[in-house]
Formats: sequence, C-alpha cells, structure tokens
Amino acid sequence: MRRITRALLAGAMVLGLAATAVQAKTYYWISHGSPADPVWTYFLQGAEQWAQDTGNTVNTSFHNGDVASHQEALRAAIAAKADGIVTTSPDPGSLVEVAKEANAAEIPIINFNTPDPTASFDAYVGGDNVVFGASWAQYLVDNGLVKQGDFVWMPVEVPGATYGVQEEEGIRSVFEPLGITWEVTDATLDQAEIITRMSDYLTANREKVKAIIGLGDLVTGSIKRVFDQVGVKPGDIPVVGWGNSLDTTQEVLEGYVNAAQWQDPQATSYVALSLAAMEAGGVPAGFNVITGALYDKQAAQIYDDILSGK
Amino acid sequence: MTTRTPLERLIAMPEFGPLALLLVEIALFTAINPTFLSPLNISNTLTFTVELGIIALAMTLLMTSGEFDLSVGSMFGFAPVLMWTLFNANILPFGAAFLVAMLVAAAIGLFSGLFVTRLKIPSFLVTLGMLLVVRGTSLYITDGFPQRTWSAEGTWLATILVGDFYVGPFRIYASLFWFIGLAAILGYVLNRTKAGNWIQAAGGNPLAARARGVKVGRVKVALFMLTASCAAFAGMISSIRTSAANPNSGTGYELEVIAMVVIGGTVLTGGRGTILGTVIGTLILRVMRNGIVLIGVPGLAYNIFVGAIILGMMALHSWLERRHNAGV
Repeated sequence: MRRITRALLAGAMVLGLAATAVQAKTYYWISHGSPADPVWTYFLQGAEQWAQDTGNTVNTSFHNGDVASHQEALRAAIAAKADGIVTTSPDPGSLVEVAKEANAAEIPIINFNTPDPTASFDAYVGGDNVVFGASWAQYLVDNGLVKQGDFVWMPVEVPGATYGVQEEEGIRSVFEPLGITWEVTDATLDQAEIITRMSDYLTANREKVKAIIGLGDLVTGSIKRVFDQVGVKPGDIPVVGWGNSLDTTQEVLEGYVNAAQWQDPQATSYVALSLAAMEAGGVPAGFNVITGALYDKQAAQIYDDILSGK
Repeated sequence: MTTRTPLERLIAMPEFGPLALLLVEIALFTAINPTFLSPLNISNTLTFTVELGIIALAMTLLMTSGEFDLSVGSMFGFAPVLMWTLFNANILPFGAAFLVAMLVAAAIGLFSGLFVTRLKIPSFLVTLGMLLVVRGTSLYITDGFPQRTWSAEGTWLATILVGDFYVGPFRIYASLFWFIGLAAILGYVLNRTKAGNWIQAAGGNPLAARARGVKVGRVKVALFMLTASCAAFAGMISSIRTSAANPNSGTGYELEVIAMVVIGGTVLTGGRGTILGTVIGTLILRVMRNGIVLIGVPGLAYNIFVGAIILGMMALHSWLERRHNAGV
C-alpha cells in the first residue's frame, strides 16, 4: 500500500513539474544601459519583480551602449524561440533588421525606455525623450529662469547616445526660436570623473551659465557635489533634468535642483513584460504606454520614498 | 674633471623634460584663462589628481620591475563597494570594513603576482583577466546598485582619509598629504634602499638579478600587492569624498595611470623608474584635462584635444629625452 502511495505521489510530482514547465514561459529583457547606472538597477528590479509575480523566467542582459552586442543578444533570444522580448533601442535605427527577424519568427517584441519608431516593434512602453527635453526647456522658460540670449549648459554621460540626442532635439525646439544657446559636454559614466569634469566646467563658465539641464541621471545626481565643490549655493543656478535616483530626489528637496523627471523605471519594465506576455497569449498590443512625470520640491518626497523602498 | 653648475645638474635630471612640459602647460593655460591659477581651480584640480596619483606611484615601482597591472581601475571601484557593503549591512564597523577591503585587495594582488611569477603568464593577460573578475564581482555583490556612503561623514577614519580644511582661499583635502607621504616613502625606497635596487634589477635584467641573489619573483609579487592595495586605498578615499561607491567606478583608470607613469619618465619595459617623474606626469595629465575645459574647447571635442595634446607631449618628451641622452 505504502509503495502504491509513494508511486502515486511521485507521479503527481512529475505531472506537477511538467505542468509548471508548460505554463512557465521565458522572456528576454535586453537593455543598452549599464548595470552600474543607478537608474538601470530600478528598471532591472521591475523585471525581476514581474518574474517573481508571474512565475515566468526573465533572462536579463545589459550591453553598455554596444549595438553589436545588443543585436547579438536579441538574435540569441530569437534563436532560443523566446516567448517574448522586451528591449531598449541603443541607437535610432539600430534594431530595424532584428525587429523584422523577431516579427518573422512571430515572437512578440516590445520596445521600452528609448523609442525607435523606425523599427517594427509591437508596442512602446516608457517616456518620450523628445517630449521630456522640450518640457525641461519649457519649464525654465515658463518660470522665467532663462530668457533670450542666455546660455544653458547640458552635461551628459554618453554624448551621442539616443537619450541625449532625443532630449536635445526637444530642447532645441523650445530654445532655438527664443535665441537661447546651449552646449552639451561629455561627463563620462564614472562618478569621480563626472564631478571633476563638471566642477572644471562650472569654474570656467560660472558667469556664463544661466541654467543647467542634466541630460542623464548620473549628471543630475551630481549637482549637489559639484555646487558644493565650486561654491555655488542651492538655487543660484536653476537646474532641471533626470530624477530617477535618490541623489536627485534629495537635491530637489534641498533646493539644488528645481525640477526633475521621473520615468517610472520599475513600472516601465513591469508593464513592458506584461505587454509581451499578453501578446504571447494571443492578444495583440496595438497601443503604446507613455510613462513619466516632472516633479518639484512639493512632490519629491513621493519619489524619494519609492526609491528608498518605503 | 669639470664640475656642473646647479642649472646644468637640473637639466641633466631625467625629470627635467616632464617638468619643462608641465611648466609650459601651466603657462599656456594661464595665459589663455587666468582663472586657471585661481585658488578654487587649483584646489579642485588637486582633489582628484592625488587620488589617481596614489595608484600611479605604486604602478611606477611595478613597471620599474618590468610588470604592470591592468586591474587597478576595477580595484578602485571594487574596494569601496566591498567596504560599504560590509558597513551598510552592519557586518563590520567602518574601520574594520576598511581594513578588510585593504586585505582583500592585497590578497588579489598576491594572486595576480603568483600567477605572473609562478605560472609565467604575462602580466598583461593575468591582470586583464583579473580586471574582469574584480569588476564582475563588484557588480554581482551589489546587484549593480551603488552603495550609500552618507553615514561616513564625521567618522574618524573619513576625517583622516579625506577631511578637508582651508589654508587661506585653498581647500586642502587630507588625501593630498597621503599622496605626498607615499611619494616620499616610495621615492626613498626606490632610490635609497636595497629593495629599490632589487626592483630596478628585476626589471632591467632579471636573469642577472637572479644570478646575484635577488629574489625576483618575491619582489614582483610584493609590488603587485602594493599596487592593488594602493588602488583600493585610492578608491576608498575617492568614494568617501564623492559620497558614492559605484561598482563601475575607475573604468579606464588603468590606462590613464600607465600614461602618467610613462610620461613621467619610467620606462615601459622596466629597469628604470622615477617617483618624482610620476608625480610630474600625474600633474601633466590632470592639469591638461582641467586646462582644456578652462580654455573653453567645445564640450564634445574634449577627447580630441586630450588625445592630440598627449601625442604632442609624447613627441616633445621624446625630443627632450634624446637631447638629454646626447648630453645637450
């Protein structure tokens, strides 16, 4: 009797495991970002949370802006017959062919974080960098923080990368008609180097710079340390830019940064994977999901709490 | 026998070329933008310069012995990540976490040194592998998240390492004294001690050195440990100062540090090194990076200018070296 019971139990376990194996699907989450970039850790958290909540497998990878490596990862996912792929776009136009290959293989492919309308992605989830850039410039203009003839400094971690290029496009649409000039400078991805380079630039151009737009999270999150090093008081130079890190939420609360952009990084990953799963289930995603909010001192605590895990 | 004047003795020194370059650089940048010599700018420039300089000093001895270490940049990022992880997770108090990070760095240096000397694998390959292992470990133990460093403020160790004070309008960080002290000690070791002779002999002609009883392997292993420890020390200083311990910190520093050492006059193939030259080489590269921002080169053209100036400086350095060797 005991043997029969054991055999039945073993059979049930095998059947259970087989059923789980059938249900659990494998998705690929592919990012052009750096695993050491604080904001990408929040994007990654969203993907991991989704995997935990749904019981699906999510294979994640970072490619540090390397287009060839990013394409290779996408092709590997297609070759592995992934149930769905969510991917950022490292450069405009860089994933056009790979997206077609995913379409041909009938694998759902969702674009997140950095849009590329030239590629045949099924949907886009995330912010619109052109709109973000325009809103930062408009914030400075609407609040009387810059005027015609002023100069705005725009440090960025990776010059030429999609995010900065698109943000500058939006900023140009506001500043150019008003005769406001600007300069983009290379700050690198290294924290000590960022502070050094930004301090050098501000020391040299203190009188000229009327406002700062941080085109990335690391540069905006370094404003307090740069201002303290160069001797600029909070509020002396208006600052807007990205705000997906605790450094920046604190800077907004302390008055170093006037307004910062929240991108909902965890939610972006979570929703992108959900869309991929929905498509894998046979429901097409015929729409985009736009995320993001510009917050100031009044709202900063909300995002500070989210980033602190409160 | 003719006696040389002090000026002739100065010109005859191997460090004269780099020194002349540094003075030309300072004069040029000051002429274009007088802010270059402002107390604020000098203070800012020295702050980060000495952190990289600490690594360059140790690298000078290692390169003099005929080896180099490509993992110093990743060690610069790894050590503070380890220290803050241990401290933030309440595993160890701050001082003990600092000590553990230093010991782990020394152990990694020992491992690299043994690989190079016992397995006879070129240091380029060993330390390239170690660079990836150390960087990957930093990312893995942090999940990519930078470690928080706020609670270091006011602790005795933070004050000793990066405490700052004003001398008139100049803001001076304690790291400057660490750099000066280390330069004095390593300069003394290299030029005035038996260990210095061993280091130069190990790099110049290791077979002859062995024949004369120099334990070439042990010398090199000790220098790998010193270099890794100095990179870790510099990383922890930088981390406390910038209030950030990012696992990606230090990327690319290895090449900048090697450039500092070579520009200063240490021979890339080993056998001859100069600590004073490395101090000057460190200043040359960092002053150049600071100066080209101050003279207003276009932001995105920064690297063009850095590269072009390095090439120009190396050409000038080579010309001065040839004149020096010819006794002109």
